[in-house]
Amino acid sequence: MSEASAQPVKYAGRSYLLEFSAAIGLYVVLIPVRPWLIAHAANHDLAIAATVSPALPVWLVLLIVWRYYRRIDEYEQKKFLETLAIAFGIGSCLIVTYSFLADAGLPFLAITWAWPTLAASWGITSAIRAMADRT
Amino acid sequence: MKNTLPELRAARGMTQADLADALNVSRQTVNALETGRYDPSLPLAFAIAKLFKCKIEDVFSPK
Repeated sequence: MSEASAQPVKYAGRSYLLEFSAAIGLYVVLIPVRPWLIAHAANHDLAIAATVSPALPVWLVLLIVWRYYRRIDEYEQKKFLETLAIAFGIGSCLIVTYSFLADAGLPFLAITWAWPTLAASWGITSAIRAMADRT
Repeated sequence: MKNTLPELRAARGMTQADLADALNVSRQTVNALETGRYDPSLPLAFAIAKLFKCKIEDVFSPK
């Protein structure tokens, strides 16, 4: 049973996919557009807003994920948290490993790569888990 | 725990999807319950028992 059962559980995945895709789409648009927004900002405050603009969809993703978590049933919540824990463990290890490799001569990457790395790790782990659980 | 969920469901001519809709859980959750991969919380166990008009121990029992 879902705690927030205003919407049937079976529609949670569809809503999540739509909302998540929209937020990621916004992020993908804002990353290349950001330099233009900064360059054309009318004042310092708008320049700061433009600089931080890609963080908006990142925060939106957090909200969307939380909404999804509240909509799904208890078994799906358990799987969701397990997958999240494994994915973020793997993602964190990847980030630390690459930071050591950067000391050995690989190009240094900005910290902004951390979130896409964790997101990709989560996506891959979720896909593997979904395939394993297909019944 | 083992359970009699598949038998109770089949006796009422319900599919896993029907049961999932009745309990407002996913079909995967019903499958996990029936195959013993997941033991439900007490609220879900009570909801299942209520749906089938029986006691929790008529549905679930220790292995």
